[in-house]
Amino acid sequence: MERVKNYINGEWVGSDTKEYGDVWCPATGEKIAEVPFSSAADVDKAVVAANAVFEDWRCTPPLTRARYLFKLKNCFEDAFEDISRTLVTEEGKTIDEARGEVRRMIENVEHATGITTLMPGYNLEDIATGIDCTAERQPLGVFGAIVPFNFPAMVPWWFLPYAVAAGNTFIVKPSEQVPMTQTRIFQVLEECGFPEGVINMVHGAKDAVNGMLYHPGIKGISFVGQTSTARYIYKACGETGKRVQALGGAKNFVVVMPDAELDRSIPSLITSFYGCAGERCLSGSVLVAVGDAYEPLKEKFMAAAKALKVGNGLDESVQMGPVASKPHMQKILGYIEKGIQEGAKLILDGRNVKVEGYEKGYYIGPTIFDDVHPDMTIAREEIFGPVVSLIHVKDLNEAIALTRKSRYGNAACLYTTNGKTAREFKYRVPASMIGINLGVAAPMSFFPFGGARDSFFGDIKGHGKEIVQFFTDTKVVIQRWT
Amino acid sequence: MALTTFGAIMAFAADMVTQSGEYYKTLASLAAGAALKENLEDLVREQVKSRVRIEETRRMNVTEMILEPVAGLLQEVYEIEFKIPDPSADADVLRLAIALEEREKRFFLDASAKVPLPEVARFFRKIVEKKEKNLSRLASIHVD
Repeated sequence: MERVKNYINGEWVGSDTKEYGDVWCPATGEKIAEVPFSSAADVDKAVVAANAVFEDWRCTPPLTRARYLFKLKNCFEDAFEDISRTLVTEEGKTIDEARGEVRRMIENVEHATGITTLMPGYNLEDIATGIDCTAERQPLGVFGAIVPFNFPAMVPWWFLPYAVAAGNTFIVKPSEQVPMTQTRIFQVLEECGFPEGVINMVHGAKDAVNGMLYHPGIKGISFVGQTSTARYIYKACGETGKRVQALGGAKNFVVVMPDAELDRSIPSLITSFYGCAGERCLSGSVLVAVGDAYEPLKEKFMAAAKALKVGNGLDESVQMGPVASKPHMQKILGYIEKGIQEGAKLILDGRNVKVEGYEKGYYIGPTIFDDVHPDMTIAREEIFGPVVSLIHVKDLNEAIALTRKSRYGNAACLYTTNGKTAREFKYRVPASMIGINLGVAAPMSFFPFGGARDSFFGDIKGHGKEIVQFFTDTKVVIQRWT
Repeated sequence: MALTTFGAIMAFAADMVTQSGEYYKTLASLAAGAALKENLEDLVREQVKSRVRIEETRRMNVTEMILEPVAGLLQEVYEIEFKIPDPSADADVLRLAIALEEREKRFFLDASAKVPLPEVARFFRKIVEKKEKNLSRLASIHVD
């Protein structure tokens, strides 16, 4: 059985730990690898290695650093399909979804190659007579990322390329559920000749996380995961003086107005709610039908959901894969049970879906609840699965009120043909990522990614223009030569 | 089988152009007339390039946020019976080549209307234009 290794200072190294976790294929329910639960000592080795090369890397001109990233992008393109298939095997999403994810991973590398225009500071002569002032960005040292199971390729690369392009060094801690994708990516990085020690990887769980949070040699942490952990990470970083950006959970509302072009919107709505089996912080979770939109929306959405082909994501014809793990499958099934108990009407039951040849896989079919009340558990809590709560409201104000009641503020979407309605929606809804006539409001790498309220803790979000500020200090230099 | 995902459409497209390429190789080896032979050899080279471009397009244009289900495209509609009469004449070879080009033109035209990505739809329409030029050239070849 393959045991994945850590990657420290350009070498694949085992951990001293005696604790290993199992890695499972969600499509088949079979064990495919083992992952070390690395210790704080393993993290320390990575920090020491990353720190040792920091000064040299920091003195490398930004354009030279960018050239390494240019080369890495090309290496990733060559390994594109291999990385995608590895991802499907351990995470479960469809091959198209995996390719889309790898594409966005590479897109962040592409954006980071623009470091020579992202990093410059600013200046002003004669701030006082004969005295000039410049503000310059300088890298800080070692940064780390602690990342979730649902996007094993992409999420570390929301942060890593910008950090290293800016002159820092980096440590990634992938989710212990899905370590193989990032391992494959790091193999490409190694083959590509990226300088040793600049980018490192430590596998593990709680001990590795705490090892990073409490290591004095790490200057900042980027995190993506559930809200409770995001809050923990944010607090720990506050205690230890680290910079932090902690992206948490979501409960996203997707509102459909009576004037929406329904036939055009249905495929997009299906992607929103069932894409990646609903395991996405941008997934639609509550489908809000406004006024007369309710009946035709319910009918067409349900018909489209029923038609989805569920199966092994490596099959090109499959439209929805399994969920990522058995415990998570049980959690989603628990929410479905809760919905029934609380009185919602289960109009499409995704439990007991059978996928021929993959009877042990973690499959849940498209599921829809109707007659959902906003106070129900399924309407309030993040399910992170292919379960839709349908709520009927009378008007836009009532729909917006629902979004404002939520503790989360990650994404919200609206389907309409009315510009005034769209403006009203984006103006008043408290979520940070808004979609108009699309169901997955995913900012590309050159815009920031992150929510509000309990969906985000910190100041600077993932990727975008501002990300370089997170990874650099602004040094003000005041000079007088007169 | 219905082609209901972006990946399924691209995989079918890649397999179809590869298959056509193999058929053109066979036809080129059977063609007696110089003009016909030359055209078929061009088509073999073109199919190889097409395959590479299709795979590149799939890789470059897959946009995760708009991977929407597709309806109304059936693989069976584009399947072709490739049967070379024995013995064969250049007329038979030309007829089969035209059938192959027409099949691809039909597929890429239909798929351009279904595929959920405008850049990919544009790419498919460019292939349709190429097929139209090829068909025009094949139609102008005189065979005995």
